[in-house]
Amino acid sequence: MKVSVFRFGLVGTASFLPLSLILLVAFLTAYSWPAIQYNGLQFLWTNDWNLGSLYGNPVSIHGQQVMPGARYGIWFLVVGTLASSFLALLFALPIAVGAAYFLVEMMPKWLSGPLALLVDLLAAIPSVVFGLWGYVLLIPLLGQTVFPWMTQHIGFIPYLGGSPGSGYGLLTTAIVLAFMIVPLISATMREGISAIEPSLKEAGLGLGLNRLEVLWNIILPKLKTTLVGVSILALGRALGETMAVVMVSGNALNYLPNNIYTPISTMAAFIVSQLESALQDPTNMAVEALAEIALVLLVLTVIVNIIARMILWGAKVRS
Amino acid sequence: MTENAKIAVRNLDFYYGDNKSLKGINLDLPGNQVTAFIGPSGCGKSTLLRVFNRMYSLYPGQRATGQVLLDGEDILSPSYNVNLLRARVGMVFQKPTPFPMSIYDNISFGIKLYEKLRKVELDERVEQALRQAALWDEVKDNLKKSGLSLSGGQQQRLCIARAVAVRPEVILLDEPTSALDPIATLKIEELVAELREHFTLLIVTHNMQQAARVSDYTAFMYLGEMVEYGPTQQLFTNPQKKQTEDYITGRYG
Repeated sequence: MKVSVFRFGLVGTASFLPLSLILLVAFLTAYSWPAIQYNGLQFLWTNDWNLGSLYGNPVSIHGQQVMPGARYGIWFLVVGTLASSFLALLFALPIAVGAAYFLVEMMPKWLSGPLALLVDLLAAIPSVVFGLWGYVLLIPLLGQTVFPWMTQHIGFIPYLGGSPGSGYGLLTTAIVLAFMIVPLISATMREGISAIEPSLKEAGLGLGLNRLEVLWNIILPKLKTTLVGVSILALGRALGETMAVVMVSGNALNYLPNNIYTPISTMAAFIVSQLESALQDPTNMAVEALAEIALVLLVLTVIVNIIARMILWGAKVRS
Repeated sequence: MTENAKIAVRNLDFYYGDNKSLKGINLDLPGNQVTAFIGPSGCGKSTLLRVFNRMYSLYPGQRATGQVLLDGEDILSPSYNVNLLRARVGMVFQKPTPFPMSIYDNISFGIKLYEKLRKVELDERVEQALRQAALWDEVKDNLKKSGLSLSGGQQQRLCIARAVAVRPEVILLDEPTSALDPIATLKIEELVAELREHFTLLIVTHNMQQAARVSDYTAFMYLGEMVEYGPTQQLFTNPQKKQTEDYITGRYG
């Protein structure tokens, strides 16, 4: 009977993780249910987060107790989250791919090993450290020097002109996020590039291409699926990043960015920065609305991750 | 030492790190002929071939000393432009290496590196190259299909077409049939014989019968040294060196 106990234990531990994900979704749904009913689907595309008058008496709307004037709409968070994550991906991709190619192809072995380790270590840095680095170093530098220069000299490009802001905002957030996802992309691309048979690279070079042309025309098309998969995976990481974003985004409220310097907020960062004031709501609707944001974010990142894993898995099966 | 050698090798030494793997090679290779390099594994025949387009220079720790004269110019000299060299000396590898793009693009890609052509001219060049590689009839209706969709033998002929399309003077073939079945091998061998008219071909092979079938000259190498070099007929029927005789009669290797 020893075996069956062991088996039982294995089944239990193995099903614990998927079960906990389902339970988490179920709990969030149940907890935020009053908010879901009160807000309706407009929650996603209206731009009005207002806790209402916290000194009045709760009123009953659609059968839910809320503070008078309370409205919850998170369009600015949807925009802020997607814009900062995609921008971060845009910055991170060329850097990560370049670093991976450089480490695999152009560095002597004794140097590329330690350097690759160093890049991978970036992934292990707690995000609050990135946030602090952004806060202390990036924001003064960008806000006082770089952004004003950009608005003056390349301000004619759409979204790059206008007010340079204070340094807190979309672009700063995207830069910090980019640093956090570079190691993820770089590690996967390193693996992909080293898995390509050397004769294919030599065939390109033997035809007279330079290294960059080989990377662009031969290696990247060959690794297309891997690249797409790891990009989506990195996107999932950026979407959910919290602490660093709280520290550098400017935590905008009900505010849509009109250029890339504008303060923003993201779903994850907003939950942290608004929890305290939401707890002041005696009807608890504000907290339930924050839980609804968490649910949206969770569903979004789970979907993104599933797509990414499926693409990467497909790429591995084929090669 | 003939005056009209296409490629003349002078006192060539080659090192993998501290390991000397080619020792004092001297060789005159005539133009528009097929020269085969034979010898047991590790004798340096592939290493020698990779000197002719300086492919070795990709790898830190590999270096060549001496001279390799292509039409009298030393290609090992650091001032010799390696991209120019690779336009003049094409290469086909052991495993077929089609690029991840369409059949058409596989061929046109190399041409576009060196020449600006109108679409019509480019189409002509692609067709010409595919005809030269005896592949045109099989792919003419599917030029948009991926090069990777072809069979192994077709892929290898595609690689030959890609090499000839840029109109090099020399084509290096590094065991081009070792990954192919006998019928595909036969086609490549016939092709090599035809290409001799326009190009100087150097082929490394571990298959002595292949060397005997396709080449005009044969070089036998052993342990990094050039043991014997001469007309194929003579080398196989009347070898001058004992080592050569032992190898071609199957006594070692």
